[in-house]
Amino acid sequence: MDAHAAHHAVTAAAPAFSSRPEDIAWFILLLPLIAAAGITLLVRRSNFLAATFSLAATTTAFILSFVLFLTFGLGDATAAATPFAWLHAGDLAVNLGVTVDKLSTLMLLVVTGVSALVQVYSLGYMHGDRSFPRFFVGLSLFTFSMLGIVLADNLVMMFLFWELVGVSSWLLIGFWYEKESAADAAKKAFLTNRLGDFGFLLGIILIWAAAGTVNFAELSQKLGAHPDLLGNLSSVAGLLVFMGAMGKSAQFPLHVWLPDAMEGPTPVSALIHAATMVAAGVYMLCRVFFLYQVDPAWPVALSFLGSISALDIIAALGGFTALLAALMAIQQNDIKRILAYSTLSQLGYMVMAVGCGGPDAAMYHLTTHAGFKALLFLGAGSVIHACHHEQDIWKMGGLRSVMPKTFLTFALGTAALIGLPPLSGFYSKDSVLLAALENGHPVLFGLGVLIAAMTTFYMVRLVLVAFLGTNRSEAAGHAHESPGSMTWPLILLAVPSVALAWLPLGDYLRHHFFSDHAHHAAAVSDEISVGASLSALFGGLNQILFEPFNHAPLPAVMGTGALLIGAWVAVTLYWKAERDPLPKLLGALARGMKNRFYFDELYEAVFIPLHDLVARFADGFDRWVVSGLVVRGVHGSTELLGRTLRILQSGNLQTYTFLFVAGVALVVLLALK
Amino acid sequence: MSSLTPLLLTPFLGALLVLAVPGNYRVILRALALLTGALTAFQAIALFAGFQGGSAELQFVQQVEWIPSVGLSYHVGVDGLNIGLVLMAALVSFAAICAAWEIERQVKLFYFLLLVMTGGALGAFISLDLFFLYFFNELALVPTFLMLGLWGRGEQKTYATFQITLYLTLGALVALTGLIALYVMSGVNSLDVLVLKAALAEKPLSAQAQTLIFPLLLLGFGTLVGLWPFHSWAAPGYAAAPTSTAMMHAGVLKKVGLYALIRVAWPFMPVGVAEWMPALALLCLGNILYCGWVAMRQRDLALLLGNSSLAHMGFCFLGLASVTVLGITGVVVIMVAHGLLAALSFALNGYLFNRCGTTDMDKLGGLLRQMPFIGTAIIMAFMAGCGLPGFANFPGELSVMFGAWKALPWFVVAAAWGGLIIGGVYMLRAIRSVVHGPAKAEFNHVSDANYWRRLPFLVLLAALLWFGIQPDSLVSRIQPSVVEIVKAAAPAPPVPAAPAAVAAAH
Amino acid sequence: MQVGLHHYLVVSALLFSLGLLGVLARRNLLVIYMGLELMLNAANLALVAFSRYNANLNGQVMVFFIITVAAAEVAVGLSLIVALYRKRQSAHVEDLTSLKL
Repeated sequence: MDAHAAHHAVTAAAPAFSSRPEDIAWFILLLPLIAAAGITLLVRRSNFLAATFSLAATTTAFILSFVLFLTFGLGDATAAATPFAWLHAGDLAVNLGVTVDKLSTLMLLVVTGVSALVQVYSLGYMHGDRSFPRFFVGLSLFTFSMLGIVLADNLVMMFLFWELVGVSSWLLIGFWYEKESAADAAKKAFLTNRLGDFGFLLGIILIWAAAGTVNFAELSQKLGAHPDLLGNLSSVAGLLVFMGAMGKSAQFPLHVWLPDAMEGPTPVSALIHAATMVAAGVYMLCRVFFLYQVDPAWPVALSFLGSISALDIIAALGGFTALLAALMAIQQNDIKRILAYSTLSQLGYMVMAVGCGGPDAAMYHLTTHAGFKALLFLGAGSVIHACHHEQDIWKMGGLRSVMPKTFLTFALGTAALIGLPPLSGFYSKDSVLLAALENGHPVLFGLGVLIAAMTTFYMVRLVLVAFLGTNRSEAAGHAHESPGSMTWPLILLAVPSVALAWLPLGDYLRHHFFSDHAHHAAAVSDEISVGASLSALFGGLNQILFEPFNHAPLPAVMGTGALLIGAWVAVTLYWKAERDPLPKLLGALARGMKNRFYFDELYEAVFIPLHDLVARFADGFDRWVVSGLVVRGVHGSTELLGRTLRILQSGNLQTYTFLFVAGVALVVLLALK
Repeated sequence: MSSLTPLLLTPFLGALLVLAVPGNYRVILRALALLTGALTAFQAIALFAGFQGGSAELQFVQQVEWIPSVGLSYHVGVDGLNIGLVLMAALVSFAAICAAWEIERQVKLFYFLLLVMTGGALGAFISLDLFFLYFFNELALVPTFLMLGLWGRGEQKTYATFQITLYLTLGALVALTGLIALYVMSGVNSLDVLVLKAALAEKPLSAQAQTLIFPLLLLGFGTLVGLWPFHSWAAPGYAAAPTSTAMMHAGVLKKVGLYALIRVAWPFMPVGVAEWMPALALLCLGNILYCGWVAMRQRDLALLLGNSSLAHMGFCFLGLASVTVLGITGVVVIMVAHGLLAALSFALNGYLFNRCGTTDMDKLGGLLRQMPFIGTAIIMAFMAGCGLPGFANFPGELSVMFGAWKALPWFVVAAAWGGLIIGGVYMLRAIRSVVHGPAKAEFNHVSDANYWRRLPFLVLLAALLWFGIQPDSLVSRIQPSVVEIVKAAAPAPPVPAAPAAVAAAH
Repeated sequence: MQVGLHHYLVVSALLFSLGLLGVLARRNLLVIYMGLELMLNAANLALVAFSRYNANLNGQVMVFFIITVAAAEVAVGLSLIVALYRKRQSAHVEDLTSLKL
């Protein structure tokens, strides 16, 4: 730990509330938990009070996060406080502490911001639901867990909140638990995530066993000093930790839960399955990126992998997921599922960026994506709400005129997602492509461009079919604009979708990941002036907007080209289309896309029966062999012995006496001999 | 006089008072039993709070000579190994007495037996003389069999009673043989733990004696815990037992065997430990994986919980096999946590049985709407059962897996699979089919627990959450004693002194 | 002929055997009971004889105990037999093979 952190450790016993960044971070973390506990214990019968509690906590957390970002995140210092010993046993020491640095303050803003807006939106969307307070408890609990992941300063604490995120997402997906499909989807999401957690936990144990600590700062320092600390298991450890990210961020082959999770209420989809929970995997990879910066090393059994590093595998999996999900998205008709597959695809993009050695690009894309994807989901929710829970885009149409606010914001979100310059998505996507190109992954770069075209294609298809043309069903005809509590969050989210890129976020993140520590420790003074930071932020706006074309024109031009091609194809196919022309054009491929390439069917046909088969065998063994043969065998032989001996027990007094005397005689005989 | 003696006497006095009340005064009987349980629980909480962490010394010790010629004395005391167990036993007993409202016949006898069981369990945990440990354990076991036979439920009742009696008696006998062999072969004319410890530190048991005694103790006490393959009594036994009995046995009495192993077998027989470690590691997989798979197949909630409880015991055996401070500390944490959790789960199972008339998961469903409190408690208990952080099981299982990694990496992989995946599958399936899904018409009349009936669940949940959020409050008390045990059990100790000092500082 | 210890012991053994024969062979509970008394007295005789020839009074003290206890035993035993007869209308051992009445 550096001197700065040591300084804080000394003053850790200071008064309970002060303006030190780590105290504020603790407060931010605990606010939603207090809200959840308060609602459960005090006001669970009052809709109004429940929403007030929850919203007040999250909004306060957002404001505090913003303060933290301005005063602290713009600097270069790292604050870490470890005031709470959680588990100290043997050679394992786990403290609950917070890390406040550029990465976590940015993520705090994303999480609390989206969470607050989603809660406002839920006021309208969930209006009239009989379990309204329970919904807000779930949202608060989720926000708490997610903030825990963001602020965690060690692997075990992160795993702890990782699991809590899993369970709170289970609660929210299964919010309408009386619906069979929702209850099943919740179960599937939880168990799929558990598969990832299995690897994550083993990875943590592996790292701890080699390094003797789970604290990020200490680990990073130790790895910096001894790059071969993890020995020939370093790549395996990296991949195991990545398994955790595979679960939460729904990477192939653990991607199957995310589309099903759309069974939850739409605000949940926006919060969990667009902006935060699924981003946790990418965030975690960025947090532990130092693990992947060592040279690849494999144990003997895996030595054939040679110089392929864990990052290469991560990049390939991310790219593959992105491609696969984009293909699936093309043939979906359910508005939420299209967005779900689009999320999968974008997450693949981010993971690919991490794998290409660009965690800054991944975080950049994560931040912008959180804004516009939450916007798209909430917009979809608004549409679904207006069309009386109709989700098939082919039964919508013509919504542009009846729902102008929703349409405009949705269109803006779409434009950001497909990377239309100068909206935020363009810059973050550009940085991902640039990361792939600069770090020597031309194939993945090509893949990225292809996916960009596909993204444009299916998003334009969605907008054309759902919002333009004429209404194709009764429900769409009666649609009307949603209430203010639902449209205002849309408008508020539209702002970052557009403008986020105009802040120098890319530089901000690059600074975090690739700054030379010694250099900055000298350059940064202890006090950071807010005014100076802000002027630095907005000063170079003009330059920022055109930066991609000046700095590295190839990805920028390719990206824009992909956008144009995708949009052109989509418009020619779907302009005023009454039904989908693609199935005819593509045949079997379209069927495969529509049926998600049969992955769910494959898992259901192979893995689940396999486990059930083993379970069936174990149960049968228990029932027939252990319980049957052994227990009943003991039982039977005892019974047989009893039956034999019973013959002697005639109940006749004189028989007993005779035997008794005979026995005595025998003993006397033996004794006298 | 140490405050342990009043703690031990309270349940027995309560039992005698219960005997003095005529059998048809049911309210008075129940009030008396509840009062006794509450008094016991308060004393145990005070004891836990007054216990000084960070030291391996025995505290609250009291010794009274009984039969000096064979070295028998009433000798009680607590250290890190049993302080948590005493607290857990007292809390679970109180909850079990609360949950006994379902008993309608022979109420007086039931409360009498329940209080005797409570006293026996507490006595077994605090006795430092192994004779008394054994005696109190048997004193608590016999009421188990009687309660199962007299108030049990289901078609399998007789068979289950028969099986549990057979197994547990045989297990206890084998363990007794081991203890007698220890008494004879150590040659110190005493079964007092402290005397044995001092004597064996001077002159350890011969390797031959250890290879003889260790398996007797391991298999004998192991059977009491449900060590695979001597486990098949557990699930049907708990399914047939009345609620309070299942809570007491699965929660408390099952831990006596493990406690005795940590107290006696591990520190006194390092050679035996070294010899049996690989076999024990394999057997624990039997618990974790095999019993987990068996649990996956169950359609009856009680059988599922019984098998999952066996799976949790597997983690204890894995931790024991690791012979590290971290692993064995984790074992003690799991013992406390699982005691609370098993009691909670069986209390919930009993509540469902009484209200819905069945624990068949195919027949249950959608109960969260009808019973928000019980439904939530079920979700929390089952989530704790599959290792959710925030509940006390998680730090225990985590410590065991971390602790066992260096010696038994592949076993840890299997244990993580068993705990995270298999445990997740059956617990989630149980939640899915019991509380989720559409509400069923036949359960429209069932009612949620009223405020009184919520008490046992709340007590157990609060304790689980407390130790889950604050495991260090338990671990800092446990660890110093475990350090001593590991020092004795692993002759070449890789034990660092520093963590003990860190724990002492908190 | 000098009467010695052996003679007493032989008489005692004869009495004991006769009593045992009675217990084993007779069917009536009363007669069996009389056989038992005979066996007790055989033991008494042996004890007195040993006492006399070992010049030690312990044996005779023991006999007094046995006589007293036997008297009490007879009282209890006879009352049991009477109670049994009243319940079963029989004092024959073949009819009394079950422990429960």
